[in-house]
Amino acid sequence: MNKKIFIALALILVFCGSALSQTGVKKKRPLPYEYGRVIIDNYSDKADLAPVVFEHWIHRSMFTCRVCHVDVGFAMKAGATGITAADNARGYYCGSCHNGKRVVDGKTVFQACSRKVNLEDEKRCLRCHSYGQKVASDFDFFKFSEPLPKERFGNGVDWEKSEELGLIKPASFLEGASTSKGNAFVVQKDFALNPKVEGMPDIIFSHRKHTVWNGCELCHPDIFMGVKRGTVKYSMVDISQGKSCGACHTTVAFPLTDCQRCHSKPVV
Amino acid sequence: MFKAKFKATIVTVLLFIGLVGLCSVRAMGGPQSSAAQAEPAKETWRKEFDDVCSKTQDAMTFSQEELTDLIRRCDALLPQIEKLDESLKKVYMERLRKCRGLYVYVLDAKRNEKK
Repeated sequence: MNKKIFIALALILVFCGSALSQTGVKKKRPLPYEYGRVIIDNYSDKADLAPVVFEHWIHRSMFTCRVCHVDVGFAMKAGATGITAADNARGYYCGSCHNGKRVVDGKTVFQACSRKVNLEDEKRCLRCHSYGQKVASDFDFFKFSEPLPKERFGNGVDWEKSEELGLIKPASFLEGASTSKGNAFVVQKDFALNPKVEGMPDIIFSHRKHTVWNGCELCHPDIFMGVKRGTVKYSMVDISQGKSCGACHTTVAFPLTDCQRCHSKPVV
Repeated sequence: MFKAKFKATIVTVLLFIGLVGLCSVRAMGGPQSSAAQAEPAKETWRKEFDDVCSKTQDAMTFSQEELTDLIRRCDALLPQIEKLDESLKKVYMERLRKCRGLYVYVLDAKRNEKK
């Protein structure tokens, strides 16, 4: 009798233990307009302002990833840049474009931060410091994405095709920040990577597709450090935690749920 | 005799005053001239940065010698960027790190190819 109780208790413990050891809770899948959203809260709280809400979708339609993450200098992880209002006011980071002078599509881009702020500036501050605030944006995601080719996941937009069709024209050069136009990369040919799981289609990796928007130094060596193909092993667990491909494909680029976009080589 | 001594003293005093005057003019002009020098120096580092880091897209085509030279030029830029104001330093330290990192990466890849 005692043995049975002991076994039952042990089983309960094992079951509960394994259930409790599952870390975190299931992540809510972001809505198309939320995908790529970054909340920046390094210093906002201290300045008695709401955290900044940065929408990738509108910015990526205007500039390549390289312009912002290489030329302007934004880090690849949210909050890692340590942007200050002084940096912006001096014309760096957000202030590289949001300086109250630059004209995009016939509109003067509003100034991000300024040294002197008065009460009238409050509305301007709220354009970025909008987390938890009811702020009407100049850009409506649904109106913006309506004419663009659709995809199943992420923003629900096929960004690559959108550019091919000329529906978006991400600039690869920013006056005052960029050092080159970055549009004639010498890269390796596309290659296949064999997944560990049998029957899973090979991954066709295209350097050409990636360098068009990213350049070289955005990925190498920070994200992909191995110099010899096959020496670094990648796993879906690591990728889903934001390593290697996951640096972009869990945050801004099409997400991991869109398996066929990478595992695209037909299985013979 | 007294006259000659007196003359010599006056000349020495005048020379001393002149020397002090010259030194003070130099000292007062010091910061101004260094600030004036700082402007072209700032231009120089930026030109060099733009030149070195505008080549990253061609990194794969460079020889090992060329890559080594680019890395050396990046290293030479570092102390100049470290002296910049806070925002400029933050932006360009990171940009230089990325640019240098790529050249080192491609150089390693090329060395590895030869093995």
